[in-house]
Amino acid sequence: MDSLMTIAETLEQSAVGLAIAEGRYAFPLIEGIHLIGLSVAVGLIFLIDLRLLGVFLPAVPVRALHRQLQPYVFGGFGIIIVAGVLLFLSEASTVIASPPWPFKAFFFLVATVNALYFEFVIARRPAAFPEGVPLPKTVRYAAFASLSLWVLVIVCGRLIPYIPHWT
Amino acid sequence: MEFLLWLQASQLSHVIAKANHMLVASLQIVHVFGLILLLGPLLLINLRVLGLVLREQPLEDIVGQSLKLASLGLALSVTSGAFMFVSAPLHYYANWAFDTKMALLLAALVVYALIFAWRPAQVRAHIALARIHILMSLTLWIMVCMAGRAIGFV
Repeated sequence: MDSLMTIAETLEQSAVGLAIAEGRYAFPLIEGIHLIGLSVAVGLIFLIDLRLLGVFLPAVPVRALHRQLQPYVFGGFGIIIVAGVLLFLSEASTVIASPPWPFKAFFFLVATVNALYFEFVIARRPAAFPEGVPLPKTVRYAAFASLSLWVLVIVCGRLIPYIPHWT
Repeated sequence: MEFLLWLQASQLSHVIAKANHMLVASLQIVHVFGLILLLGPLLLINLRVLGLVLREQPLEDIVGQSLKLASLGLALSVTSGAFMFVSAPLHYYANWAFDTKMALLLAALVVYALIFAWRPAQVRAHIALARIHILMSLTLWIMVCMAGRAIGFV
């Protein structure tokens, strides 16, 4: 834990970390960009999940929606990750001391594994998205998991400034 | 100002602000989910109207269903935002980021409400106008979001 803190402090002392922490508007600006990227990527993922659960755009073929929104989802994630890393650099020691942060990191990992499993295993099955009948259970489970996990990531992320210490 | 002082001293304000730190955090979380639920569907409408996705799907279907979801998100954000304001009106008073956000919010609401006046035939006949309209709506909401993020920092 101590060595983690040392690494965090080193990161904060980096040129980029210092520049963001000291700039007057750099931090809220990057936070805003983090939030916009989040709305794009997770917003569109929610739409795909709701389609898989059958409650949104039921008449639109899943393959079309899934395939065509994909580049925007990835674009949004690119923005979130770049902005997120910059925010982390500027206040690494504060963030790692916050209890919600390890939970956010954990849920993010599980959500990513779930998304990759969906992309590379479930969605590639020829019978994954039959038309006119309810989707297979695995598909609906993956969609529900995706929705819940991204909700948890965001809840934990937003709690970081509100729960700064373990004790 | 007097109204704000009264509001700050009111029972509801105290209940939200003092009784529970986590209640304010919860309002913030609902506020963020409202935003995601608003921007996600609005982005889908943008992509469809700009002809970038689902071109073979009926426009009115996508616009109609997305607007329902976006409006749910908007309702969540406005409600949670109103409670956040009531909990600390003086914190928001004389904060230029907050004033900017409210001005942008008003513009964004008007432009958003006008999307409901769309008729499929008109949209097809004046697609360029519809594209400008929907891009303007998305841009305004992004600006509302950026101004909102600045409130705690000015």
